[in-house]
Amino acid sequence: MKPDPSIKIHNTVPDLSKRTVAIARNAFREAVRDRVLYNLILFVLLLIASAIFLGELSGGAEEKITIDLGLSAMLLFGVFIAIFVGVGLVYKEIERRTLYAILAKPVSRAEFVIGKYLGLCLTLLVNTAIMGAGLSLALVYEHRGWNPLIGRIWPAIFLIYVELMIVTGVAMLFSSFSSPALSALLTLFVFIIGHFSNDLKMLSQSSSGAATQWLFAGLYFLLPNLVNYNAITLASHGLSPSGRAVALSLSYGLIYLVVLVAATTLIFNRRNLK
Amino acid sequence: MKRDSLLVLLIGGGLIAAGFVARAQDNESHNRSSETSEERLYLNPSVMKRVTLAFNGVGADWYWLRSLQYVGRKVVAYEDSHEGRMDFATLASLDLRLLPSLLKMSATLDPQFMEPYSYGAVVLPEINSQEAISLINWGIAANPQQWRLHQHLGYIYWQRGEYSKASEVYDAGSNIPGAPAWMAVMSGRMKAEGGSRDAAREMYQHLYEASNDDAVKQMVAAQIMRLDSLDEQETIRRVLNIWTARSGRCPSSWKEIAPLLRAAQVRLEAKAEAPIDPSGVPYQLLRNGCDVDVDVHSRVPKR
Repeated sequence: MKPDPSIKIHNTVPDLSKRTVAIARNAFREAVRDRVLYNLILFVLLLIASAIFLGELSGGAEEKITIDLGLSAMLLFGVFIAIFVGVGLVYKEIERRTLYAILAKPVSRAEFVIGKYLGLCLTLLVNTAIMGAGLSLALVYEHRGWNPLIGRIWPAIFLIYVELMIVTGVAMLFSSFSSPALSALLTLFVFIIGHFSNDLKMLSQSSSGAATQWLFAGLYFLLPNLVNYNAITLASHGLSPSGRAVALSLSYGLIYLVVLVAATTLIFNRRNLK
Repeated sequence: MKRDSLLVLLIGGGLIAAGFVARAQDNESHNRSSETSEERLYLNPSVMKRVTLAFNGVGADWYWLRSLQYVGRKVVAYEDSHEGRMDFATLASLDLRLLPSLLKMSATLDPQFMEPYSYGAVVLPEINSQEAISLINWGIAANPQQWRLHQHLGYIYWQRGEYSKASEVYDAGSNIPGAPAWMAVMSGRMKAEGGSRDAAREMYQHLYEASNDDAVKQMVAAQIMRLDSLDEQETIRRVLNIWTARSGRCPSSWKEIAPLLRAAQVRLEAKAEAPIDPSGVPYQLLRNGCDVDVDVHSRVPKR
């Protein structure tokens, strides 16, 4: 039997991705218009430039100091951007009531959350790439030509980016049920605790009581393990994490992100926006 | 227009006044910082490593720069009050009590960072050689593939006069893949002639090549200069003995023995024909011309 040409078959999958992409694109445009973002990037680039001069006082450790300072600044300011832009993404839409106009259209809340998240990730990607290029130029300047260390910093930059994606996800999760100020604070705590993952594991193993063991083990598995995203020191010594380590970190990051976005969507779906 | 010139005047006057106040503040803060610069570190290295999160590399750099500033400030102050003279021997008198903790902090925050070990190996033995050994042993445990650390440890033992221990350390370092052949040679040399001048010269030469820090290089170069000067003084004494044996008295001036010195290939000053030390200052005749020593203005260190 031939299908009736008067009946239009609605292809939902491409529409879904189109709508998500449209939201992501708008979120990116909105973030890019934010002047604070430019100030932060400019500040990082200035910091990288100052690292060159600081390195001259270092007794032969110029490049190490430039890389350490440059990558650390990228991580720190990347976290600031992720937190402060991330917590406002959904909140601003509710505050300005623009969310109602979006949700009145055939856009699901899940599409909205994913789109917003991808938009911010794109913003972070551009920022990280600009800062990474700045650091590479600083190394070229110090070496008076191509510096082999440039090839070593990019795996570390990639891991920083994945870490920033996780932090953004956490910021969005908190902002889906809490005020921006509280969300920012909670995200900062998660970022800090995420770097104590090994200590949580150690505490779980060394605790004598079963309840304490479970508590610390639970926290260890529940909170993001951000320790594995730190390749700054390795890069500053001209080393790179192994391909397997990068692949595992990326896999962990992607799985954790799916969980974060799903949790954000779940909370956002249940939220009464009236 | 009048209002503008008043504002310009106000800006200029304000900047000048601010400059005066800033100077007064500088003096005040300088006094305060000299009081607090010797304060012990509040956090121990392992705690510091935890609290620096992913920023341990920057933390290590910070403490490394602080170590250099700490020593540098004291060296500059010493040089200012001693006509720019500074050598290894005077390091002990600088009261660098905070240096071992600063270097240990830097090394703990980033165990692969080699500069604190190299610096510690050269500077710390003059203050506390046990601390120096502890720092380098920590580095060896964290970087078992770094033969340079064995070189540094061997140097410290050599300085302490523990030649057999130095030999063992060089031997262990020579077995690490990538270690140069001279590590094994140094091991044998330490065992056979640990205290000799040639062994010392070789030791300092390798140390000079290993260091990236200009201040350390200068100090090591001064020690090589001292060894060269000791060789020269030996040659001059030999010439003095020959001349004294021939003439029955010690020479009254360098000119008298200049031909003999020239024959012994000692560098002479063009005008007074006095032998010159490696820093370019003429040697002094002592004990009525029977002995020689470096001049008080010489850059050659005494120890």
